[in-house]
Amino acid sequence: MTTMDEPRIGVYVCHCGFNIAATVDVEAVRDVAAEQPGVVCARDYEFMCSNAGQDLIKRDIEENGVNRVVVAACSPLMHEPTFRAAGEEAGLNPYLVHIANIREQCAWVHEDRVAGTAKAESLVNGAVARVALHEPLEAAHADVNPTTLIVGGGIAGIQAALDISDAGNEVYLVERQSTIGGMMARFDKTFPTLDCAACILTPKMVSADRRENIHLLTESEVESVEGFVGNFKVTVREKARFVTADCTSCGECIKVCPVSVPDPFNQFMSSRTAIHKAFPQAIPSTYTIDRQGKPPCMEACPIHQNAAGYISLIAEGRFSEAARLIRRSNPLPFICGRVCYAPCEEICSRENVEEPVSIRALKRFAMDWERDHEPDAMPEPPEHDYAEKVAVVGSGPAGLTCAFDLATTGYNVTLFEKHDRLGGMLAVGLPSYRCPPWIVERDIDYVRKLGVDMKTGTELGRDFTLGDLTDKTDGFGFSAVFLAIGAHDGIPLGIPNDDAAGVISGIDYLRNINLGLPQETGARVAIVGGGNTAMDAARAARREGAEVTVLYRRTHSEMPAEEDEFEDAVAEGVRFEYLVAPVEVLVSDGRLRGLDCVTMELGEPDASGRPRPVPIPGSNQEREFDTVILSISQRPDTKWYGNGENKTRTLAFSDWGTLEVDAESLRTTLPNVFAGGDAVLGPATVVEAMGQGRRAAEAIDRYIRGRPLDQFSSHMPPADPGRGFEERPFEQSPSYRDIPTAPRAAMPKRPVADRLGDYEEVDLGYSEEDARREAQRCLHCGVCAECRACSEICPPKAVQLDMQDTVTTLDVGQIMVATGFKSFDSHRITQYGYGRYDNVVTSLEFERMLNATGPTGGKVLCKNGDAPRAIGIVHCVGSRDEHYNRYCSRVCCMAALKFAHLAMERTDADVYQFYIDIRAFGKGYEEFYTRVLSEGSTVIRGKVAEVVPALKRNGGGPHLIVRCEDTLIGKYREIPVDMVVLCNALEPQADADEVGRIFSISRSPDGFFMERHPKLDPVGTTTDGVYIAGCSQGPKDIPDTVAQAQASAARVLSLIGRGQVLIDPVRATVNEKLCGGCKTCLSLCPYTAITFDEEGEVAIVNEALCKGCGTCVAACPASAITGAGFTDEQILAELTGLLAPVG
Amino acid sequence: MVTTADHGTAIETPKVETWQPRIVAFLCNWCSYTGADLAGISRIQWDPSVSIIRIMCSGRMDPTFVVKAFRLGADGVIISGCHPGDCHYQEGNYKTLRRVHLLRRLLVGFGIDPERLRLVWVSASEGDQWAETANDMAREIRTLGPLRLET
Repeated sequence: MTTMDEPRIGVYVCHCGFNIAATVDVEAVRDVAAEQPGVVCARDYEFMCSNAGQDLIKRDIEENGVNRVVVAACSPLMHEPTFRAAGEEAGLNPYLVHIANIREQCAWVHEDRVAGTAKAESLVNGAVARVALHEPLEAAHADVNPTTLIVGGGIAGIQAALDISDAGNEVYLVERQSTIGGMMARFDKTFPTLDCAACILTPKMVSADRRENIHLLTESEVESVEGFVGNFKVTVREKARFVTADCTSCGECIKVCPVSVPDPFNQFMSSRTAIHKAFPQAIPSTYTIDRQGKPPCMEACPIHQNAAGYISLIAEGRFSEAARLIRRSNPLPFICGRVCYAPCEEICSRENVEEPVSIRALKRFAMDWERDHEPDAMPEPPEHDYAEKVAVVGSGPAGLTCAFDLATTGYNVTLFEKHDRLGGMLAVGLPSYRCPPWIVERDIDYVRKLGVDMKTGTELGRDFTLGDLTDKTDGFGFSAVFLAIGAHDGIPLGIPNDDAAGVISGIDYLRNINLGLPQETGARVAIVGGGNTAMDAARAARREGAEVTVLYRRTHSEMPAEEDEFEDAVAEGVRFEYLVAPVEVLVSDGRLRGLDCVTMELGEPDASGRPRPVPIPGSNQEREFDTVILSISQRPDTKWYGNGENKTRTLAFSDWGTLEVDAESLRTTLPNVFAGGDAVLGPATVVEAMGQGRRAAEAIDRYIRGRPLDQFSSHMPPADPGRGFEERPFEQSPSYRDIPTAPRAAMPKRPVADRLGDYEEVDLGYSEEDARREAQRCLHCGVCAECRACSEICPPKAVQLDMQDTVTTLDVGQIMVATGFKSFDSHRITQYGYGRYDNVVTSLEFERMLNATGPTGGKVLCKNGDAPRAIGIVHCVGSRDEHYNRYCSRVCCMAALKFAHLAMERTDADVYQFYIDIRAFGKGYEEFYTRVLSEGSTVIRGKVAEVVPALKRNGGGPHLIVRCEDTLIGKYREIPVDMVVLCNALEPQADADEVGRIFSISRSPDGFFMERHPKLDPVGTTTDGVYIAGCSQGPKDIPDTVAQAQASAARVLSLIGRGQVLIDPVRATVNEKLCGGCKTCLSLCPYTAITFDEEGEVAIVNEALCKGCGTCVAACPASAITGAGFTDEQILAELTGLLAPVG
Repeated sequence: MVTTADHGTAIETPKVETWQPRIVAFLCNWCSYTGADLAGISRIQWDPSVSIIRIMCSGRMDPTFVVKAFRLGADGVIISGCHPGDCHYQEGNYKTLRRVHLLRRLLVGFGIDPERLRLVWVSASEGDQWAETANDMAREIRTLGPLRLET
């Protein structure tokens, strides 16, 4: 609706008492305004916002035909609504009223009356020019959704929830922790009445739980908020608890959980189990499992072995359960416990403290214990009874694992092995001092117990072909085949005479020794290569009595061998030479004489990423050797392939000779033939081969049952498992620096002198005490170790470990944010010794000590268990401090007095308080202060300079000295105490800026959420419909928090009561005649309020979504978009009026 | 009642008739305008040569407003919005930022020293930062002198 009527402007200049009139000549401003075009009357008045002032305006509108109003007064943020309402009451559209800010932005900030007045005149001129172009605007109405969202389940959130629910409205209470109650739940007594905090809090918590219209969403966080007041759409993520509501809080699970971590509720002063309830009166009372992702050791393991689980059980001496847990995911645990290269240890977080946990050795310990105490372990019976048969070729770790898994699933498995001994590389490659034959037999026996048929001395190629296996009419009729033939052919060096007698590949050498076949070892042996096979061959040759030299072409840091193997080889007398490689085998009479070696130097990196060794020309040297063992690599034996094979069946091989398979399903080019292990990976490790065997078993099962070959549940380690411990939020765990160091338990070994005489085991295994102690070094990176003891024991079967997070969208009308505070980190003030000296505690730690449910059962005790003889309470730790927080935390003085009172009540200690000022401002506070003084607490006015440990003479004396000034007597003092309590500051939550952004709440300079007005609107924010309360707005005590909560609730209820909100008409509209369809505006709108009408080829603004920022208005090249209330013309008119010369 | 500014240099109040700069500042409603109000409430003094025009978002700033301001006699222009990441309308201030980058180059073409245009971020609680900005700009423009753009 456009008014074409002549603007008749009324200008009203406010004195605002002295506020404006002192520095601005308001009469002069009035007179200048009266001269401006369009102005029909100009008035000044003491207080325009008063009824009389507003009446001036109304009368001019009603009687003098004023149809535009300028009020030159305080900020529009203060009184724009007031004057708009006045206009409306007189029948004028409220948007025809404009405010010129001559107070906050003029009178109050310019001392110079001349300059201030001139500026006020310009501002008014600008306002007059602008308002002449104002048009009436109609505000739309929107309904208000009566449901409310409260974020934060502390006392503020709970109180507000109860109040809003009392009025019959729905409330969603979202809380990040597993229980509501917030910080108040951690207190013992509250000042000044000394009410027990839990006693007054828990009835409200229970109430909140019981009310039908209050919905508790714990372990939940708000992810995003969209919409506007009365109509918000909030996305909330509820984290999985892993325990359903069937939980009866019986506590059986806690008895069996082996994981103990520092308890954040008790400020890390005691421990709690992974499955837990935060405190006895927690609401909801359902337990929760603290799971911080998968432990990195489990992620890094190719068979997803749950190391954290069995380690936790070993730490508690529950060895039988540990062995059973190991067997749940590992069919070859004896082997792994001795020879696995332990990728888990490489990623173990304990390395950040001193060294990784000795995971492999602990597994060995558990299995050896089982051998000695429960030797008849039986595998679980198969899940199904399938008719199909599967063939596995090769009895190495890949083949055995595949066979085990398939048999457990229910298939009939036959294992074919070409040698007379089962085990593949385990039997023929690994020497017995590392992998004793009895462990291979034991693990294979376990697989056999599942009914796997194992045929030895049966060779692929010689005794049967691949086709025979699968042929249904003339062959065996297997439904699928798994090729796990390993990589048993040594790769030749490719130098002249490398096939001479006396030269042998490492793999053949070891096989002959292991199988007891004839193998000569000369007096002087050279080993060429630097991998594990080279180490094995070297150490075996030493046992055969030779003098052994390892020739490696790069340097030690590029050697792929395990460091343990290398160290043992060195201990056993193997000599190592680096940057040397043979270029020719020297022979005489067709037999090895020695090697011609050249010196190498390191050049640019090659394909493996390691520096390429480059021979130095002319550096040849003749060396004499009796036996040369080449251990440079292996590849699969493929002689069987193409041996009378049907030529239409083709397998693919890589350039290195390994079988090519699909990366996920391990299937070859033949649909029913799968392959894995060294045959596919090249010479790899036992556990990697097992991982492939496991994956192949799953793939074969799906293939046979006709299910798709993707989305496998069996594990392939991710590229970067990550280190778990430090990723936990600080509130949940201390950091590495707080962990006391404990060295890794050394593996007892046979003395070197004894070793060389035989092939008996070198590593002897941990004792029970060593194993338990070593297991206790585990940091519980993922907290829950997934041992499943809880789910097995839970009587109502409430534990559900596969629970997922749920994400819901809530429609609410108003939001209250009451997210509380965090404590200042007292480590930062190093001179107070927190974290370094025993018995320096924070206020929350002292609270927990005082609490009957706390770590000391309510007794105030020093670290060593003695009662303190003197306690020093330090005020203002991190508050009122230029270095940390300048503000006062408001509650600490009263908390300190409370601590003093309780300490004197419960101990005989002398209590000292070190204060700057005593802030006892509230109801009953001063009286409490006087009372505590009369009870005998000594107060010393002066800041504490430092806390130092006291020198102990003859074992007695105080623990700590507090060094402070006493300003009232003007002296430096040293006060001996046994305990220091730091009253540390209240700070905004660590993620306050993120939370602020989600809810569009600004922050004050100190970081707390900003109220709309510190005096008149302490619970509102600049975003309509979003309110704040409690310590998230600033430090405060419980009475003030509850008051704010109720204030917030009242605001919410008033909005609900109104039922409707006005939608600001400051919005953009597209003039379709001018729009050229360039679409520039579309991508600019953050609310996606602009769409393109394909038919009309113009942009259209959705009024409901547009928030009126004006970005599109500014961007439109055709000036086709109008920003109502802030049009180009209006702004330019204001600019013109402002800059026009005055007077 | 009035407090003196406790940062920056003293504000000059000329006793004789000298040229006074005229600086126009466009402040976004939610952060900067509120911040400037806070300076006023706290009585932090700033140079009267700066006058404020209120817009809802710094993203509303049409570059032609800046040029028009210079043409109408302004010697300097300030644009102030919310800090990046905190824009009340999510992203408006980023749009302003890139427009101002481009505009500065155009100003050079017009023969206007780009230092006469300043883009700052002032939040709702940063009253003293607003005062410092205003004072600093006034000082800068006094050094640069009047623009005297021929219209």
